[in-house]
Amino acid sequence: MSQPSPLQRVSLDTWAVLLAFAAALLVRFGVLTNIPW
Amino acid sequence: MANSAVRTSAPPAPAIAPRETTAPVRAAGLIPGILLLAVVGYAGKFIEHFIAAYGKAHHLVLPNIEYVLWAILIGLAISNTIGVPAIFRSGVATYEFWLKAGIVLLGARFLLGDVRRLGGVSLILIAIELALALTFMTYLGRAFKLKPKLVTLLAVGSSICGVSAIIAAQGAIDADEEDSSYAIAAILLLGAISLFLFPLVGHVLHLSDHAYGLWAGLAVDNTAEATAAGALYSDAAGKIAVLAKTCRNATIGFIVLGYAIYWASKGQADEVKNKGAFLWRKFPKFVLGFLLISLLATVGFFTKPQLAAVGNLSRWAFLLTFAGVGLRTNLRELSKQGARPFIVGAVGEIVIAVITLGLVFGADHVFHL
Repeated sequence: MSQPSPLQRVSLDTWAVLLAFAAALLVRFGVLTNIPW
Repeated sequence: MANSAVRTSAPPAPAIAPRETTAPVRAAGLIPGILLLAVVGYAGKFIEHFIAAYGKAHHLVLPNIEYVLWAILIGLAISNTIGVPAIFRSGVATYEFWLKAGIVLLGARFLLGDVRRLGGVSLILIAIELALALTFMTYLGRAFKLKPKLVTLLAVGSSICGVSAIIAAQGAIDADEEDSSYAIAAILLLGAISLFLFPLVGHVLHLSDHAYGLWAGLAVDNTAEATAAGALYSDAAGKIAVLAKTCRNATIGFIVLGYAIYWASKGQADEVKNKGAFLWRKFPKFVLGFLLISLLATVGFFTKPQLAAVGNLSRWAFLLTFAGVGLRTNLRELSKQGARPFIVGAVGEIVIAVITLGLVFGADHVFHL
């Protein structure tokens, strides 16, 4: 059986955290400014 | 998602496509389902606004029903009538991913002081709920003569965090897939029912946002349903429900480790060699993400408008989640999973919900939560 790739070794949980942090940093550094709700 | 076996009517498309496909192709396969989540969630938001605008224009006092309920109802209507076509399924299954991302981002709306303000009383109530649910479900399952590992799965699912805890425990104690399917079905069906019952009870008893949120976070087992049940009451209640539920989730590694050691001692599961690594593997990382964002918010890393923007990102992530809760719930499929685990789950959940309601109600009156 082939080894999972490094991307597949990262859990869904961790991907969610990484995405959330990326989005928060985009807001922090002014890339995303106005997020309406 | 691991729980797709009980949530869809047709054989579910795997959330992760076969290994031959490349990552970009797999990611592209998620797009239709994610768009469906967005459409259903946004339709819920549109209906909420439409009703409010209609009432205002015609000078009518109409009940303010949150988009959360509309999104779930639209999702339920689709999945229980025409069904979710195969092309959408893998994308719809990402709703738990959006839930976790949303919880991390929600950290920006809590300064660490707020997290601490959840308070010693609330933390004691969470500990009581855990002990009560584990003990009661174990005895109830034995009384109904369910298989011992199914009893463990039901106890873990009802005490900690529903589906994730059951999946984590299934691997750790070598339980049958069928057992975990039963346990997941019972937890999900009861979660769906509690979405509608909890806000009603909360309004009848005039619970404060804090008390109701704490109750929803304590008594509703699956994180998505607990978040939705809280948000259905009010925004503030939703925040407290997530916080209380996150505290329960944080114990997952310890409880599962305890059961893994227990079953290994009986020779019915693999021995846990490295307990530290086991705990880290089972620990929900989004809890750490939530605390880290909350820490950043506390030390002033974000300005006030930025905090509001991050908070709104969290709301959009939850909008996708709530649409997914409805779209992934097939009531006919859930009811096929057998009566006895459901009866044990239902009796246990009702007892736990009533006792935690009593505890929260009492604590609210004595300590003014």
